Amino acid sequence: MVHKEETYEYIWIVIVAAVIAGLSVVMAYYGFALNLNPVCNATPIDIKEVEKLTPGVKEIGPGIYEITMIGQQFSWNPNRIVLKDPKRVIFKITSKDVIHGFQIVGTSVNAMVFPGYIGQFIWEPPNNFEGRFLIICNEYCGVGHHLMYATLEIER
Amino acid sequence: MRDIFKGSFEDIFSRINIGFAIILLALGGLFGVLQLLSRTPGSPIKVSAATYYQILTGHGVFLAVAFTLFFIMGLTVFMSTRILKVDINRLLLKISLCMTLLGAVLAAVSILTGKARVLYTFYAPMKAHPFFYIGAALLILGSWFTAFALFLQYLKWRKQNPDREIPVPIFGLLATWIVWIEATIPVVIDVLKVYLPMALLGASVDVLEARTWFWFFGHPLVYFWLLPAITLWYYLIPKRLGVELFSKKMAKIAFILFIIYSTPIGLHHQLVDPGVDARLKYLHTVLTLIVGSASMLTAFNILATLERAGRKAGGGFFGWIIKLPWRDPIFSGMILALIAFGFGGITGIINTSYQLNNVVHNTSWIVGHFHTTVGTAVALTFMVASYGLLTELFNRKVIAYSLARIHPYLWVIGIFIFSMNYALAGLAGAPRRTYDLTFGGMAPEIWYTYLKAGAVGGVIFALAGAIFVLIFILSILVNKGEEVRIFKFGNPHENLNEKHSVIDNIKLWIVVAVILIILGYSIPLYQLYSQGLSLVPPVAKGL
Repeated sequence: MVHKEETYEYIWIVIVAAVIAGLSVVMAYYGFALNLNPVCNATPIDIKEVEKLTPGVKEIGPGIYEITMIGQQFSWNPNRIVLKDPKRVIFKITSKDVIHGFQIVGTSVNAMVFPGYIGQFIWEPPNNFEGRFLIICNEYCGVGHHLMYATLEIER
Repeated sequence: MRDIFKGSFEDIFSRINIGFAIILLALGGLFGVLQLLSRTPGSPIKVSAATYYQILTGHGVFLAVAFTLFFIMGLTVFMSTRILKVDINRLLLKISLCMTLLGAVLAAVSILTGKARVLYTFYAPMKAHPFFYIGAALLILGSWFTAFALFLQYLKWRKQNPDREIPVPIFGLLATWIVWIEATIPVVIDVLKVYLPMALLGASVDVLEARTWFWFFGHPLVYFWLLPAITLWYYLIPKRLGVELFSKKMAKIAFILFIIYSTPIGLHHQLVDPGVDARLKYLHTVLTLIVGSASMLTAFNILATLERAGRKAGGGFFGWIIKLPWRDPIFSGMILALIAFGFGGITGIINTSYQLNNVVHNTSWIVGHFHTTVGTAVALTFMVASYGLLTELFNRKVIAYSLARIHPYLWVIGIFIFSMNYALAGLAGAPRRTYDLTFGGMAPEIWYTYLKAGAVGGVIFALAGAIFVLIFILSILVNKGEEVRIFKFGNPHENLNEKHSVIDNIKLWIVVAVILIILGYSIPLYQLYSQGLSLVPPVAKGL
């Protein structure tokens, strides 16, 4: 026999389960059907080889850019990026020393940066994104952490 | 069987632990205020960057790790001896006390002398003084002896009461310490395999390896803080109201969910880590949502208990709310903690929501989140429970009781202003942890508005914290007056069934937990080690 008060409890449990199922389905749809995932790709790199990378911007197709970025205590290299009408930006980021965090303020670009790994992800800036954006380090990397920033300019 | 524990070793153990925890709370809180003011634009008080990151490390380690651990050790023994009424192994408690105190002192010395400016997450390859890691290891290994003492005490009680159901608070404490063991095995592996070789021998490390073991520990850790708070809600709120808990069964099911789901979910702290498979991140996300459901059960259960009590006192459809004892700080503090936890839970669901994590990761949103969870749901519950402990454990009368009544409200008002503004700043992209948020004048203006408003809230709840610490310390030092029994922790009014059900079969739930942990972590660890480690040298400069 189910007590009346217990019924409320079971209704509540069903609601909670439905919310969890709903959220899980939405996230799976975006992640695996629309391929909207956070940064996941990484290639190991010998830290001594980082010096041989050429940090900077390369236009590899119309509106398609590849940016190689190196973080170190307490700066980003390059520290000023200019993109003309970007449609697709491929980031390849690593660190020379400790963990850093790569964030473009005002966008959803947010990724950890590891020494020993080159993280890779793609960003498609919306058409209305224009002007100067602030790039910061958002993972504590030492006493000069707050001095580690760069800029990204988008021209249309 | 003994009923009186006054002056016994068990009570001395609890007093030392809880007294030490309150000292850590005061120190960690002071660090918090200093760092808050230092990062607030336009503030006249500003420490240097090196000092800022040093006290930020202190704030995290002293409050999140040490204050919680010592308080929980003291509370556990205090409650278990009174509720189970069987002896606890004193030798284990003595070993536990010595090891944890030594560990805490070593870690504290390394932080206070500026040799461990690595923050509470101590991400490799940053290298701190070996004392920092040795202290952490001693603290954790030492705490295991308290866990063993509780488990043995429970088994002894079980032997004497073979069929009786487990009292809800004991169920909660067992869940707490089971989760602690689940949490700390990976961090002990991390410290022994990665951090000690790095700190002592200068060995190279793999960043992903260090982080995977760390977050294997880092999330169940938060349930270790939370479960004793929930235990206190389930136990003390009905007692304060003079009613039975709405559903003992649902309370225990919530604890079971924590035991089995709190660990295989750590990857949700690594959602923006390169080198972790998207499918595994998604799996841990879903498991995190399931553990979130346990708190939804708790919220329902406590609120239904309140309604039951309010209606019994003559309240109507909404009238029952005003019939509740809002002037009782232990009651009001715990309910306010529960309400704050509602916000903490919702922001937590957002944090774990896979794609959404990109928007909030490492922003001050996270700071807003955890000040409503560990900073209020846990800390405020422990603080108001201390008013009860002052009389029951320390044998003191609470001085300035009228101030004690205000303390929980002041705390929650401050936390609400602080967390709201820090969360909004985070949505606007403001980073957490950062000392100075000007970034060469390029930071958005709106950050400063939120940070300044947040600082007002921070100062308000710091004031509430100072009121609590002063009441606690002065009550112990000067108020040796007669005993005033505000309430009784011991002798639960619970009517215990003489027949226990499958819910009380703790061993079964441990087995399920182990299976889920293996399912949740075998593939990430296999991928990590099969792709080969990428070693980098430790870095001590710039810290």
